[in-house]
Amino acid sequence: MINAFLVFNGQGQPRLTKFYTQLDTSIQQRLISEIFTLVSNRPAGSCNFLPLPPLLAASSTSNTSASADEQNDVPSLVTYRNYATLYFIIISTSTESPLALIDLIQVYVEALDRLFENVCELDLIFNFEALHATLGEMVVGGGGGEEAGE
Amino acid sequence: MPVAVFEKSLYDLIRGLRNHKGNEKEYIQNCLKECRSEIRSQDMDVKATALLKLVYLEMVGHDMSWASFHVLEVMSSQKYHQKRVGYLAAVQSFRPDTDVLMMATNLLKKDVAASLPTIIALPISALPHIVTPSLAMSLLGDLLPRLSHSHAAIRKKTVVTLYRLALVYPEALRASWPKIKERLMDPDEDPSVTAAIVNVVCELGWRRPRDFLPLAPRLFELLVDGGNNWMAIKLIKLFAVLTPLEPRLVRKLLPPLTNLIRTTPAMSLLYECINGIIQGGILGEGEDFSAREEVASLCVNKLRGMVAGNSDPNLKYVALLAFNRIVVTHPFLVAQQEDVILECIDSEDITIRIKALDLVQGMVSSDNLVSIVGRLMRQLKASSAALNQQNNGSDSLDEPNSDDEASGGAARRRRTLDRAPPLPENYTVDVIGRILRMCSQNNYANILDFDWYIDVLSQLIRIAPPPRVKDSDADSTGSRYPADISENIGNELRNVAVKVKAVRAGAVRAAELVISRMASDISPSRPVVLGALKPVAWMVGEYASQLLSADDTLRYLLDIAPRIGDPEVLATALQAIVKLFAHVAGDDRVLWTRERKSSVSLLMARVIHVMEPFASHPYLEVQERAVEFMELLKLTAEAAAGQAPSTDEMQQDPPLLLTQAIPSLFNGWELNSVAVGTQQNVPLPDDLDLDEPIHADLGRLLAQADSLMLPAPGDDEFDAYYNQRPAATSISSGPAISRLKDAPEEVSSSYQHTEESYLDPDIIARRKAERMERYRDDPFYIPDSTASPSGGRSTPIHNILQRENGPDLDIDSIPIMQLDLEKLNPSGRTTPAGRQQPAAPKPKSQQRIVVAADETIAGSGLSTPRAYDSENNTSDSFLSKGKKPTASTTSSSTTTTNKKLKQQSLLQITATNLADLTLDESASPSNDPLAHERQQREEAEMAQALREVQRLRLEMQRANERIQVAQGVPVEGVVVSSKKKKKKKTEGTKTGVKKKASSKKSGGTGDGGEGGGESAATPVVEGVEEGVVKVKTTKKKKKAESSSAGAGAGESGEAAAPVKAKKKKVKRVVQLDDGAEGGGSAVESQG
Repeated sequence: MINAFLVFNGQGQPRLTKFYTQLDTSIQQRLISEIFTLVSNRPAGSCNFLPLPPLLAASSTSNTSASADEQNDVPSLVTYRNYATLYFIIISTSTESPLALIDLIQVYVEALDRLFENVCELDLIFNFEALHATLGEMVVGGGGGEEAGE
Repeated sequence: MPVAVFEKSLYDLIRGLRNHKGNEKEYIQNCLKECRSEIRSQDMDVKATALLKLVYLEMVGHDMSWASFHVLEVMSSQKYHQKRVGYLAAVQSFRPDTDVLMMATNLLKKDVAASLPTIIALPISALPHIVTPSLAMSLLGDLLPRLSHSHAAIRKKTVVTLYRLALVYPEALRASWPKIKERLMDPDEDPSVTAAIVNVVCELGWRRPRDFLPLAPRLFELLVDGGNNWMAIKLIKLFAVLTPLEPRLVRKLLPPLTNLIRTTPAMSLLYECINGIIQGGILGEGEDFSAREEVASLCVNKLRGMVAGNSDPNLKYVALLAFNRIVVTHPFLVAQQEDVILECIDSEDITIRIKALDLVQGMVSSDNLVSIVGRLMRQLKASSAALNQQNNGSDSLDEPNSDDEASGGAARRRRTLDRAPPLPENYTVDVIGRILRMCSQNNYANILDFDWYIDVLSQLIRIAPPPRVKDSDADSTGSRYPADISENIGNELRNVAVKVKAVRAGAVRAAELVISRMASDISPSRPVVLGALKPVAWMVGEYASQLLSADDTLRYLLDIAPRIGDPEVLATALQAIVKLFAHVAGDDRVLWTRERKSSVSLLMARVIHVMEPFASHPYLEVQERAVEFMELLKLTAEAAAGQAPSTDEMQQDPPLLLTQAIPSLFNGWELNSVAVGTQQNVPLPDDLDLDEPIHADLGRLLAQADSLMLPAPGDDEFDAYYNQRPAATSISSGPAISRLKDAPEEVSSSYQHTEESYLDPDIIARRKAERMERYRDDPFYIPDSTASPSGGRSTPIHNILQRENGPDLDIDSIPIMQLDLEKLNPSGRTTPAGRQQPAAPKPKSQQRIVVAADETIAGSGLSTPRAYDSENNTSDSFLSKGKKPTASTTSSSTTTTNKKLKQQSLLQITATNLADLTLDESASPSNDPLAHERQQREEAEMAQALREVQRLRLEMQRANERIQVAQGVPVEGVVVSSKKKKKKKTEGTKTGVKKKASSKKSGGTGDGGEGGGESAATPVVEGVEEGVVKVKTTKKKKKAESSSAGAGAGESGEAAAPVKAKKKKVKRVVQLDDGAEGGGSAVESQG
């Protein structure tokens, strides 16, 4: 289950935010900035997975004694990928395959590239409705499907 | 897009935003203002554009919940591009509390049933974001036919949406499952739809694997010739859950899986295959043991290869992830990989580190604890050093970004320090917590050398990040760190002191050091925020007799006390001050000389001076303690002043108040740690009635309080209480010999050197000095000739011996014989559960230490070895040491953990509803008729009711016309009627407004009410008085009628619909009310 799909740039300015559960705008923003802090401090050559940001960690660690079933519902995986000036983030539960999520980001970016031809950050800034539409074709309600975009 | 000159398109907005670097805030505020007015425009294009801009601004963090009604308007637009904006806005901005969602139901129904696939897709993809149980219920019937839509994309989305519906409304799954299954079984189905179904089945699969066993053949087929990696991954994950239920699957699965492992080019699939094999228990027990063993070692070796060396960091991470799962079922397989996993602890990638730590925590043993903790300590030390350097350095730089406040979206440049950047604070906190947990596991089973542990703890107190006292987000979810990590470290230190008698002296001295550092380090103006102070202060107070220098510690505490911010810490510190004072000044063996008299008086004056400001402290506990101690000390001071010092000819005893009363407050029983939850099992005394007033006439007593003096404490009551017990009367009650135990032979193992890399030099120096001193008492140790044998500092044993026996005793002349340490266990006082250290024949010599187990009450069943959260279990009880601390501390801590357990994670989608659902078709009909049938019935009722309202309204209208035609409208009548109309109107609009807030339709019915009012007023044309009276009566009757109608409808709603549907029903009832109102008044006017 994918819980959120985010895109922001190297300054932490969001370019696309998609939360598959309803969250207050202020909490969304805090989550984004927490993830950005994590992501921008990664040393070179580190893996594409982030430790849980405090907002998520606080709630998931308190659940450690909960049953394994409930563990599977908790968002516990933050995958990111960096393309030029942009960071693509997927927050998901542990039932998703981590490596496949990396591929999913790749597929999304490839789809955007086909859509805009040599996609760059400016394209994303001015066409954010198209971003949403493309994403909507790939991920419906948090369930992923790997296909080429439009 | 056609845009008027003064209106911005989204493009303009973004361009403007980029052109206003620096004052974006102002620009955005202007734009928001414009949007607010544009969105009210009648022109749909303008409205939609404004909405799109708002959605953009929402992404940047500007709330747009106020616009939800306009979102709905745009959603209902006829043009696709506007509708799309509307749906996008709904997805992005609707929150669980958005009430206009109620009104969206019909719109969604209509769009789901649209003919154009592009339009159908909009509501279907939006639904997962906004779905509620009632919405799910009403839309289920419309969504089901979409499962067989001609477009594959629609079918695919419908499947996933139905799953999301089922999460909030499980009935949805039962209704749709047969159809979904049919799609899955259809070999001609579009692969994307099949993949989506597999996706859903996989999500459902780990919740209710048994339901999906019958699908196994088809799923197997898909796995073998699916050709879709994404789907294959999901299938393998699903099979990993299914195999434990159906062992026969294993044999079938092995060939294709090994085939995949051999052939697939996709690393993700390879990894999932390995993962699935391990997780699915395919490794596990079975008839063909050797073959499986082979597979197992193959897989684990693959994983090992992923972790080891400098492979791809992503693989490292996922391999650790896999290990984390394997360790639950096959711990021995993981334990074999200890070496490579330990390497990962030092990886520079925090994510990998954390995963490795998760693993390591389960692998800790007494053998590797020291080295693991050593690694972690080195990291922490380096990080804190880097942080300090940065703090010092950043003052000169222009951007002081060292503080870790959530700095919004503000840009934070990557630091260009060539050293390793400091670790993030929450990671540091996490690691410290893990260290404490690893060490304290199983009541300190893994710790061989408690002196080492004490050193680690004192180092940790220095490293620990300061607690967050920022006012910014005290109540929000983010700052829910486990209280203050520093306090936890202090608690550990205290626990060691309480539980491990053998090293109590060392622990107390570490506490002493902490306090002295604190007093000297922090500038006098700054408040003290160190959380460790509380337990540490308690320790120095409780075990004052083991301090190196109680006088100095008392002085430090007195220095610190005025600067303590946290009232709870302050209360503990006050307590500790008085305990220390009792120890320093209360010795009754020392003569009451002139010097002693003056020094004690001075000390008392100082203590009173420090306490004085707290007598009016807002925190009650602090105030009470301060006042009580102050009064007590004042009395003592008087007594001391009155007692003449002893002279050569006249021997005088020190005042009893000083030597007997005050120390007796604290010298009761020794405090032991109490198991979590035991406190609650203490039976409530029968004669305790907390509701009984303390005094019948409390008010009068309080009024007289000014004239009352506190009774001098320490009189009979307390004395009797303590003297009845034959138990020890002093802390240092144990035989002195028991203290000799902790002199081990020198351990010259390798970690001695590595310690230096993470302990501060002064801690090491202290330790060395301590060792040296300890050996002074060791008859087998030849003292260092350079150290003066009778030099300034002396060990506690020297102190004690000297004090007890007088200076004329020569310790060295006492003959020393071999002691049988086994027999010296003072374990008689603890429960039999008292844990012996494992006395395995280790090569290293170790301290033989008794770690006291937590005390429990028989039958409580809660005697778990101390849990990490139990910091309050030995909290000092005020003045009544013999009594157990009040139950509130422990019970409150357990309730909070309970609460934490229940609270849900951010972003989490609960699917607990699904757990009760069964897909077994045979079992389903017993439950109840399908809900959407019921709902259809309800809708029919509703339609009938609406027709009734229409009919009444029509009659009303006719009656109105009849009267007007019959009488005409006289001139004065107009005035009157208009007056009444106004009255009526206000009433009508009142109800109208009330409903408008909740539903759009009722806005319309509000108008209806108004119309009804008009019709009621117009017929009354004969005279003013009569008219007024009439209006009044109608009002009354209306009220009665509407309320009864509401009640009736409410009842019927209750009877017909389950609780979930009720809310919606009530809303509809509101509409009915208005209709009935109008109708009722119409009838009235006719009569």
